[in-house]
Amino acid sequence: MAAHRTSSERQQAWGARHAPLMSALVITSCQFDAPAHREVPDALQPRGTGAGIVLAEMWWHLVFGTAVFVGVMGLLLAIVWRQRNASPVEGLDEADITRGEARGVRWIWWGGIVMPVLVLTVIFGRSMVSLAALQSPEEPETVTIEVTGHRWWWEVRYPVEDIVTANELHIPAGEPVHLELHAQDVIHTFWVPQLHPKIDMLPGETNELWIQADQPGIYRGICAEFCGLQHARMQFQVVAMEPAGYREWVEDRQQPPPEPTTELALQGREVFMDHNCAQCHAIAGTSAVGQIGPDLSDLATRLTLAGGVYRNNPGNLGGWLVDPQAMKPGALMPATPLDGEELQALLAYLGTLE
Amino acid sequence: MSVDTAWRASLEEAWHRPRTFYGYLTAVQHRSLGARFVATGLVFFLLAGIAAILMRIQLAVPEAQFLDAELYNQIFTMHGTTMMFLFAVPIAQGIGIYIVPMMIGARDMAFPRLNAFGYWVYFLGGTALWVSLFFGQAPNSGWFNYPTLGTARYQAGMNIDVYALTISMVEIAAIVAAIELVVTVLKLRAPGMSLNRMPLFVWAQLVMGVMILAAMPTVLVATLLLELDNMIGTHFYSPGGGGDPLLWQHLFWFFGHPEVYIILLPGLGIVAAVVATFTRHDIVGYPYVAAAFVAIGMLSFAVWVHHMFATGRATTGMGLFSVATFAVVIPSGVQMFATLATMAYGRLRMSVPMLYVLGFVFVFILGGLTGVNVASIPFDLQVHDTYFVVAHFHYVLLGGMLFPLFAGLYYWFPKFTGRMLDDRLGKLSFWVIFVGMNVTFFPMHLLGLWAMPRRVYTYLPGLGWDRLNLLATIGAGIFALGVATYLFNAVRSVLNGPPAPADPWGAGTLEWSIASPPPVYGFARTPVVDDRNPLWRPRTDVLADAAHDLDDPRLETSFDRRETMATSLIDAVPQFRAVQQTSTIVPFLAALAVAFTFLSALIEPLLILVGLVLVAFALFVWFKPDPQEWDRDWLRAGPEGSLPTSFEAARHGYRSTTWAGGLVTVLVSASVFVTLIVSYLYLRVGHDVWPIDPVEPRALAGPLLASLPLIASVVPLGLARRAIARDDHRTAGLGLLAAGALALLFGVLKVVEYVQLDQDPRANVSASLDWTLTGFHLLYVLAFVVAAVVVGIYTLRGLFHGDRPDGVTVTAMFGGFVALVWIPLFAVVYLGHALM
Repeated sequence: MAAHRTSSERQQAWGARHAPLMSALVITSCQFDAPAHREVPDALQPRGTGAGIVLAEMWWHLVFGTAVFVGVMGLLLAIVWRQRNASPVEGLDEADITRGEARGVRWIWWGGIVMPVLVLTVIFGRSMVSLAALQSPEEPETVTIEVTGHRWWWEVRYPVEDIVTANELHIPAGEPVHLELHAQDVIHTFWVPQLHPKIDMLPGETNELWIQADQPGIYRGICAEFCGLQHARMQFQVVAMEPAGYREWVEDRQQPPPEPTTELALQGREVFMDHNCAQCHAIAGTSAVGQIGPDLSDLATRLTLAGGVYRNNPGNLGGWLVDPQAMKPGALMPATPLDGEELQALLAYLGTLE
Repeated sequence: MSVDTAWRASLEEAWHRPRTFYGYLTAVQHRSLGARFVATGLVFFLLAGIAAILMRIQLAVPEAQFLDAELYNQIFTMHGTTMMFLFAVPIAQGIGIYIVPMMIGARDMAFPRLNAFGYWVYFLGGTALWVSLFFGQAPNSGWFNYPTLGTARYQAGMNIDVYALTISMVEIAAIVAAIELVVTVLKLRAPGMSLNRMPLFVWAQLVMGVMILAAMPTVLVATLLLELDNMIGTHFYSPGGGGDPLLWQHLFWFFGHPEVYIILLPGLGIVAAVVATFTRHDIVGYPYVAAAFVAIGMLSFAVWVHHMFATGRATTGMGLFSVATFAVVIPSGVQMFATLATMAYGRLRMSVPMLYVLGFVFVFILGGLTGVNVASIPFDLQVHDTYFVVAHFHYVLLGGMLFPLFAGLYYWFPKFTGRMLDDRLGKLSFWVIFVGMNVTFFPMHLLGLWAMPRRVYTYLPGLGWDRLNLLATIGAGIFALGVATYLFNAVRSVLNGPPAPADPWGAGTLEWSIASPPPVYGFARTPVVDDRNPLWRPRTDVLADAAHDLDDPRLETSFDRRETMATSLIDAVPQFRAVQQTSTIVPFLAALAVAFTFLSALIEPLLILVGLVLVAFALFVWFKPDPQEWDRDWLRAGPEGSLPTSFEAARHGYRSTTWAGGLVTVLVSASVFVTLIVSYLYLRVGHDVWPIDPVEPRALAGPLLASLPLIASVVPLGLARRAIARDDHRTAGLGLLAAGALALLFGVLKVVEYVQLDQDPRANVSASLDWTLTGFHLLYVLAFVVAAVVVGIYTLRGLFHGDRPDGVTVTAMFGGFVALVWIPLFAVVYLGHALM
């Protein structure tokens, strides 16, 4: 089931540029190769407290459900087997029907009323136990993150640390994290199947959730509520790091990206400012303060592009800049007319944003 | 008197429908319309099935390019919308419309013209919905259409308007058919068929009808508010103007979950009919099963929030909805074990319908068990909006509705067509459908647990979803082959099947006592019943077509015009002869007027006003009495010593079917207003300060004074009712006109008040609510004024009188409702700010 993507030379080269991030993760070379696809988002393989609580409950359902299903199907087969040679009317008189009625009502009581009440009492009780456990974490939450759903990407803010990023949540593993969830336009749903059950993100409202990853790793998040054209391509990554590595990451992110040093990158910055990119995007420390699209201040460090669906490498990024509609039809980012030179410069500049 | 040839010829003539195109448009008889509902429903089923196949092709492999995102979204929306609104409900009602009157021994339903009207509105609405797909403007935000996505603001085209308007039409059709079914079951049962002798299928149809009447008005209001948001710019669902997108979810699911059981119940009714016949044994625990149907109907209104567990609201309160959802298992279990016990103690015959029932047991139980899974809040929060839920409800609906439907269509096919189906093809179709269905949907449980979200037009490779999606697509292909086999069998038999006898299965209910296919008039004589399976334990005189000697003249009906026997509500004691309407083009024209009103809004909202004039005109023609009805002798005509006719029922102390229909319509209207008031209160409690600035609290004194004429109108209405009872048509007519004048005065004062108020309904949701509640009521006032004037004039001219009081009593009932419902409306609109 866990079909990991194979590595390629280019991805390794790109991965090497993420060295500080990667060293903060306790990871193997395999995961290093395929950062965007480390694990399949399988709710049956929990890596977080909340998902674990639900999986434990699912076992109860499986055991009771299987027992009921096998029992009733066995009964059905037995009936059909016993009746295999029945003739329609022969040997059935009014007395038989009266007797059948009297005995059959017992079936209704035992099978239709007593058994369901017993089973459901157990199952309901068990579900209330899990529900209580899901209400709040055992330890106080250490980090607060605001996530806002947009069509079709995720705005991520750390209000205390004053960090803005997109489509990627960095959290300390083993610590509960507090989430404040909003929606900019339509309803979205925040869901990281391996970490915690889902909750809606509603326009005009704030929903709260806690999540906790038990171990460092990269977990896929999914928008679960249908949100229009590109609902299918609205995903994100949760990067759970060793707490020390996480604190390092925070310090790193609090710095604006360095001034570009190469000629090409400086040119790229001009391309960025001249092509209206700044109307929608912000880059810390520059005059770009657009709020419509994702903040790009740490673009070069991100694992994915376009709402968690394409790996962040120069090839994909170039393609995305020139023709986003080809990669994500309907995305609200317009195509940018760039000649080859401008594209190279822009990529060089964007590569410095870390 | 014996049933002779002349009698039959006379009945033939009275019930005759010309086999011409015009005759097709004018038919009002229940079997014509029932068959049409079923056939049209099957066409929509095939269209929605093709949509499903297109979806499965797109999802067979990751990143497929077969459908683009927009088209996929329209296709999946059409699949769900069509299956729920255009297939499941109409076809279940269609079978009811066809079979129920014959099962209860009636010649037709209570309101034949209304029946035809409902069909045409459904046909036109459904057709318009599908035509929109070919213009690329089909609804694209799911059958659930959640705002804010499901509002014009987030869609380039008219997709959402198409959704709201065509769905409203189909809902109106469903309500009309439900009124029809409920009144028919309650009033037109054969003498002796007390409620506790009614076939379980009829119980299921009755409960379904009541549920539709309770649930559909809610979604009508929801779509009305949605259209106002879209067209005028009100703020019911927009958080920016103080509205709340979750209001839609509450209203939608308050309808939407009962909708699921509305679809399920007729299926359970069919299972009961088939199992009884093919075990030659009465269903074990009849009162338990009937009570289980009622319990399912009631519980279904207490579970809607289980669709909203993930909205993050009030988790502890949601526990109650979780309990209610678990509780549905109990009546379902009662029904299931009654079925199993009947199979165990009867003499089981493995016919094709019975095979489908066995399929029902297998598939429905699996769906029920995953239903228990998702009734648990934590479990649901993991799998909500994933393919697990897709698997769950397809098991429930295919098991609970499609398998029984295929059983029922096979079972009643000889009655519908007069032909037998081929048994081997039938068995083949079952096994292919059964295998295909499980191969399609079982893998989806796993896909959901592996976190594949619903409603995605494609998915990334490498997430572990590829193989099972391919398997599901293969399953869909098998499933389609099975459905094709089933239909091939049907077409082959219609063309060339062996002729069917009246009762090919040895069944026990009344519809099998008449020929296959039935003669146009159905029963030559009124059957009399003293058992749940009257054909199994016949009285000598029970068979309608048997040459029996039933001397009681009170059981006689006329044979030279359309009449059927009306009986009392509980014990089915004969009361009067319900005189039935004959073929007419009016329902078709009225449906066209309604369709114009709704669909013209897509082009130019102002055309709605033209449409309303057309509708008013259609109603005027509708209620314009037939010339022969001027003749009091014609109104009373009938065999010697027979019971009074429906026209005179009131004079003999009985409630006529017209009165019952009027009452149900008023109850549906009341439900509409209750929904509006609840919506007001829901939005009101979401705000600490009300009304929202800049809207001011409303002045009280003037409006209170202006309400007096409306409230006072109940006095002349009461006088009119009494006058007509003592055959004083002049006083009655004047009373109606006076009440109409008072209501008109109220309406004018309201208009003046709102003009002076100078407040924009688009300001915020406070203003939107004031305008909508008052405006909607004003429409009712206007309708009453028109009705009072028209009926008032007819009454003055002597058309309604002591032998024919229904026009006056029903108008008075409606007027009383319009006046009294203003009191709670007034309270919320003018005092809502003082609440809290």
